[in-house]
Amino acid sequence: MEDYKFLFKVVLVGNAGVGKTCLVRRFTQGLFPPGQGATIGVDFMIKTVEVDGEKVKLQIWDTAGQERFRSITQSYYRSAHALILVYDISCQPTFDCLPDWLREIEEYANNKVLRILVGNKTDREDREIPRHIGEDFAQRHGMYFLETSAKEAENVERLFMEIAVELMEQAKCKELPKYDGSLGPINGKTTSVGDSSCCLRS
Amino acid sequence: MSLTLLLEKYDVSTEDGLQKALNEIEKEESDVNEALSNALSRACSLEGKLRTASQAYTKLGEVKNDAQTAADMVEKTAVLARDVSAKVRQLDLARSRVAECQRRVHDLIDLQLCSAGVEAAIKAHDYETAARHVARFLSMEPGSVAAARARGAPDPRSDMARAARTLRDHLVRKFDEAARKEDDVAVERLFKLFPQIGQTEEGVDLLAKYLAVQTESKIRKASVVEGGGAGGAGGAGGAEAVHADALTRVLEAGAGALQRVRALLLHAAAPHHFPRALLVLQPVVCAGARRVCGSLAARVRGAGSAGGAGGEARAAEPQLSELALAHSRLQLYLAFLRRNTASDTANLPEAERKSCIEAVEKIIQESDLMRTAQDLLSHYLELERYFLEESINKAMKLSAAQTGPPSSLVDDVFFIARKVIRRGISTGSVDGACAVLNEAAAALERCAAASLRRRLAAPPLDPLPLPAPPPAPPAAPDARDLAAQRALYLEHINEAESGAEWSERLASEAVGAGEALCRCEVERGKLRSCAAGLGAAAAAFRHARAVALAALRAALQPRLHAWAARLAAPDRTEEMEEEVNALTGALDVLGEAARAQLPAAADELLAAAVADVVARAEHCVLRQHYDREGGLAVERRARRLAAWAGSNAGGARERCARLTQLAALLALERAAHAHHALQPAARLAPADARHVLARRTDFKMEEIKRLKL
Repeated sequence: MEDYKFLFKVVLVGNAGVGKTCLVRRFTQGLFPPGQGATIGVDFMIKTVEVDGEKVKLQIWDTAGQERFRSITQSYYRSAHALILVYDISCQPTFDCLPDWLREIEEYANNKVLRILVGNKTDREDREIPRHIGEDFAQRHGMYFLETSAKEAENVERLFMEIAVELMEQAKCKELPKYDGSLGPINGKTTSVGDSSCCLRS
Repeated sequence: MSLTLLLEKYDVSTEDGLQKALNEIEKEESDVNEALSNALSRACSLEGKLRTASQAYTKLGEVKNDAQTAADMVEKTAVLARDVSAKVRQLDLARSRVAECQRRVHDLIDLQLCSAGVEAAIKAHDYETAARHVARFLSMEPGSVAAARARGAPDPRSDMARAARTLRDHLVRKFDEAARKEDDVAVERLFKLFPQIGQTEEGVDLLAKYLAVQTESKIRKASVVEGGGAGGAGGAGGAEAVHADALTRVLEAGAGALQRVRALLLHAAAPHHFPRALLVLQPVVCAGARRVCGSLAARVRGAGSAGGAGGEARAAEPQLSELALAHSRLQLYLAFLRRNTASDTANLPEAERKSCIEAVEKIIQESDLMRTAQDLLSHYLELERYFLEESINKAMKLSAAQTGPPSSLVDDVFFIARKVIRRGISTGSVDGACAVLNEAAAALERCAAASLRRRLAAPPLDPLPLPAPPPAPPAAPDARDLAAQRALYLEHINEAESGAEWSERLASEAVGAGEALCRCEVERGKLRSCAAGLGAAAAAFRHARAVALAALRAALQPRLHAWAARLAAPDRTEEMEEEVNALTGALDVLGEAARAQLPAAADELLAAAVADVVARAEHCVLRQHYDREGGLAVERRARRLAAWAGSNAGGARERCARLTQLAALLALERAAHAHHALQPAARLAPADARHVLARRTDFKMEEIKRLKL
C-alpha cells in the first residue's frame, strides 16, 4: 500500500482542443507539449501532493473532448470527486457548449461532486470571453472559477492544489458522523475497501 | 714518535724516565718491524695482479677490433634493408595500380557489355539478365567511368542510363500488363527486379497498388453481409454474428495482402519499405471495415428503436456480443500490424527500425480504421449501459415482487455484472473494459444503496425470536406472511454480506482477465483503478449490512431491556435456579435462530445483544435499592450471563466481567470487603464502585466513603 492518506479522483471535461491534456501535463510533469494530438478515450495520471502535512493522491482522468468518446468519458463522472469543466477563452463555441456539458454532469455525476469552471489559454492575445462572463456563469451554476494558462504555467498548480484542499476538508467533515444511529456502530470492521477512495461516500 | 717528543714526554734525566723512553722506543720498533713484514708479504700477490691486468689489456684490444667490425656490418645491413623496403613499396604501388587497371578494364568491358547487354536482354525479354546488367552498372566505381571518359572514350554512362531507363519502362509496362492479367507469378517476378535496378520504392508502389486493386475486389465480396441488411431488425432472431464474420473476412483479406508484401520485402531485404506499402493498402481495408461496421451499427440502431420501448434487455445480447466481437477483430488486426512491423525490422539498425515502427504507428493512428473502432466501441458501450440498467432494474423488480420462484437479488445482479464485465474485456480495448467496469460498479452500488439498504432499514416485526421475560405476554399467533417477511429480511442481510465479497471477487477477476489487454503501465493503472471502483460497491453492500444489523438490534432492544430490568431486579423469587437460567435460555433461542439464518453475522449480533443487556442492567442497578439477598440474586444472574457469554458471545466477555464485579459488590456481606469483589483487576472506577455500594440499604454511607479502593 502506498503512503497516502486520501485519494481523490479528478476528471477534466470540455470541448476538444481547449487544453485539458496540457493542463494535466503542466501540473503532473511540468511540461507544455506543443502540437499535442487529440486524446483517445481517457488518459490517466497520478500526482501526490501535500496538504497540511498530509499526503493526498490525486488521480487525474483526462478525457477526450470529441463526441465519439462520450460513452467512455461519461462512465468516469460518477466516481469523480471533482470535475473540472474547461473552455478556451479565445474560442466562443467552447464557452457556448458549457450548458450541454452541465446537463451531462447533472445526468451522470454525483450531485455532491466539486465542480470547477476553468477558462484556459489566458496567454492568448485574441480573448473572446471576458473574465467576468466566465465568473458570472460559474456563479450562476454554483461552480468555482479560475482562469489558467497551461503554456505560461499560470494558476495551474493553484487549480489542483485548491481542489485538493477543498476535497480534504469535505472528506474530514464527512469522516466524523459515520453511522450516526443512536445505537452506534455495530460493525467493528472498517468500511473502506481496497483503497481509501470511498472516504467521500458514506 | 720523534725523539724530541720522547724527550718532552719522559724525564730522561732520571733512569726511570730513560727506561720508559727506551721501552717506548722498543715497542715502536717492534710495531715497525711487524708493519714492514706485512708489506713485504703483500708484494707477491700484487705482482700476480699486475700480471693478470697486463694480460687482460691485450685481450681487450682484440675485442675492440671485433666490435668495430660488427658495427660496420650492422650499418651496411641497415642501408641494404632501407633500400629493399623502398623497392617493396614501389612494387606494392605498382601492384595495386595494376589491380585498379584490371578492374577498370573489367568495368569498361562490362560497361560495353552492360549497355549492349541490357538492350539485347530487353529484346530477348530476359529481364533478369538486363536487371543484372544494370545492377552491375550501379555497383561500378564512378572513377572507372570517369577514367574511361577522360581517356577520350565516348561516355558510356549516358548509354547505360538510357538502357536502364528503357529497362525500367519495360518493367513498369510489363508489371502493368501482369497486373491487368492478375498474373501473380509474373507480378512477383517483376517486383523482385526493381530493387536490382535501384528502383525499390517504385516497385513497392506498383506492388501495393496492384494488391490494393486486388484486395479491394476481395474485400468488396467479403463485406457482403449475408442475411442481414441495414434494416434487418427482424434478423435479430437469427443471432449469428454475420457482421462480425464479414468484418473478419475483410480484415483477413487485408492482412493476406500485407503478408504478401511482407514476404516480398523480406526477400528483397527491404523491410523498411513496409510503411510505404501500408499507406496504399490501409485505406482499402479501412473502407471495407467502415462499410461492414456501418451496416452493423445501423442494424443495432434499428433493433434499439424497435425494441427500446418495451423490448427485453435480453434481446440486445446477440448484438452486444457481435459488437464486442467485431471490435476485438479490429484490435486484433491492429495488433497484427504492430507485431509484424516489430519482428520484420528486428535486424535493421536501431534508428531505421524506430522510424519504421513510428511510421506504421502514425498510419494506424491516422487511419479511418481507428475512427471505425472508436465508433463501434461507442455503440457497444451505449447498448451495454442500456442492457445493464434494464437487466438490473428487472432483477430488482423481480426480487421486490416476491412472487414466482425465489431468486436471490445479489446472485442475479452479480450474474449480470460478471457477464457484462467479461463482454467488456472481450472487446479487446482497455478503454472499453474500463468504461464497462465503471458502469458495473455504478449499477452494483445503486443496487446495494437504493434497493438493499432501503429494504434492510425497515425490518419486519420481531425479525429474530427472543422470548420475553416472565410474565410473558400472550404471544400473538404468527401470521404466515410475517414469517415469510422475516425470512426474506434475513436473507437480504446475507445477500448484502455476499454482495460485498462478490464485488471484491469481480474486481480481482477483472484485473486478472484484463491484464492481457494492457500494452503499457498507464493502461494497467487505468484498469486497476476502474476495478477498484468495485470496492466502493463492496463498501455500499457492507454499509447496507451494517444498517440491517443496527436495525435488528433496535428491534430486539425492547425485550433485551426487559431482560436487563429482570436481571437487575432486587426481589428474590422462589424458583431461583429456573429463574437464573431464564435469560440465557432466551439468548439461546436467539442465538440458535441467528446461527441458522445469519451464519456470518450471528456472533457479532449476539455479542451486541449481550452488550446491550449488560449496559442496560448497569443502568438499572443504579436506580434500585438492594438488601444482601437481593444483591446475591443479581450476582447469581450476572455470573450465569457471564458464563454464557464466555462460551457463546466472546465479543461481550469484557462487558460481562464488569457487570460481574458490579454484582459482586452488591452481594457483599460487608462493605469493607469491597476490594475482594474487585479482584483480580478492578473494572469499575472507585467512584462507580462507591455508587454501586451505595445501592445497598444496609451499608453506611460514611463507611463507603472511607473505603480505600
